Amino acid sequence: MLSERERERYKRQILLFGEEGQEKLKKSRIFIAGAGGLGCPISLYLAVAGIGTLTVVDRDVVEQTNLNRQILHYDRDIGKKKTVSAGEKLREINPDIRVNVIDTTIDETNVLRLVGNADGIVDAMDNFPTRYLLNEAAINKKIPLFHGAIRGLYGQATTIIPGKTGCLRCIFPNAPPKEVFPVVGVAPGFIGMVQATEVLKYLLGSGELLANRLFLWDGMRSHGEEIAVTRNPGCMACGTMRKRTRKKP
Amino acid sequence: MRHHEEENEEETMKVKVRFFAQFGELLGTDIIVEPVSGTVLSGLIKEIAQRNKDGYNAIFDEKDTFREFVILMRNGKRVDTIDAVTTKVADDDEIAVFPPVAGG
Repeated sequence: MLSERERERYKRQILLFGEEGQEKLKKSRIFIAGAGGLGCPISLYLAVAGIGTLTVVDRDVVEQTNLNRQILHYDRDIGKKKTVSAGEKLREINPDIRVNVIDTTIDETNVLRLVGNADGIVDAMDNFPTRYLLNEAAINKKIPLFHGAIRGLYGQATTIIPGKTGCLRCIFPNAPPKEVFPVVGVAPGFIGMVQATEVLKYLLGSGELLANRLFLWDGMRSHGEEIAVTRNPGCMACGTMRKRTRKKP
Repeated sequence: MRHHEEENEEETMKVKVRFFAQFGELLGTDIIVEPVSGTVLSGLIKEIAQRNKDGYNAIFDEKDTFREFVILMRNGKRVDTIDAVTTKVADDDEIAVFPPVAGG
């Protein structure tokens, strides 16, 4: 049940998806991998939207060079764990939700335990090896993976529904090389909002997801487009999964 | 039949090649080319990419094969870069070449 305060807090979006929709969000648990350029805006907007439980995982400490884009971390937070900094802000901006923060490195030994009983995984990572682990966890748990990545003013996003859509390995079988990537905050801000919108639609069971659609954004030209993607039957990650219909939370 | 094919070889087609992200910065975003009949996908992209050394090196390795992360699409359908050496382009094709981005 929503409290009186929650009814007020979410009044303007309850106009859009009703108290029933808001209840669904309240009961939902979303796992956010990363509290950086993508993770900050995503967790911020999912927090104010009233996702009942957010789990944010990161291993890093706030550095000065993060501050042009990682908007949950302030100048005074330099040197602080990103999870601590993010947790403080998220709890402050919405005390009506539960925020779990975990300060660790996601690896193959802990990924399933960390994701736990989440309804979906948000990919807010900055590298493909960890993304592939999240992809495998999503396939294992049959929950969606909301993928996003950026570089400079470019970005890409897609929503992976295991068994139904191509997985991250189907779409990107090989990781691009590692680099210190250029980035301006608006790019992860923009792509993060695409991912957060996908999360909300998935949880509400409404709208049309970026399923089997890879969205590409060119901020320099203000040009967005999408490319159709499909499952690869020989995919090393999801090739053996049976086709399935979308599971509603 | 043979005669017809020979005739076709003299004809040109119009193919649109679109480079995304870094590839587009180095090589241009939308390029219209008129390849001769029988041109394969890899040959077409190599020819265009040779206009800019950095652009070429971003897409191809020292052995002149596609870097493994490069994604190729032909008319909205994925083409494995291994198959690009045998895939012939056709009139009105739209080819997309892009690198996944990895930052977050």
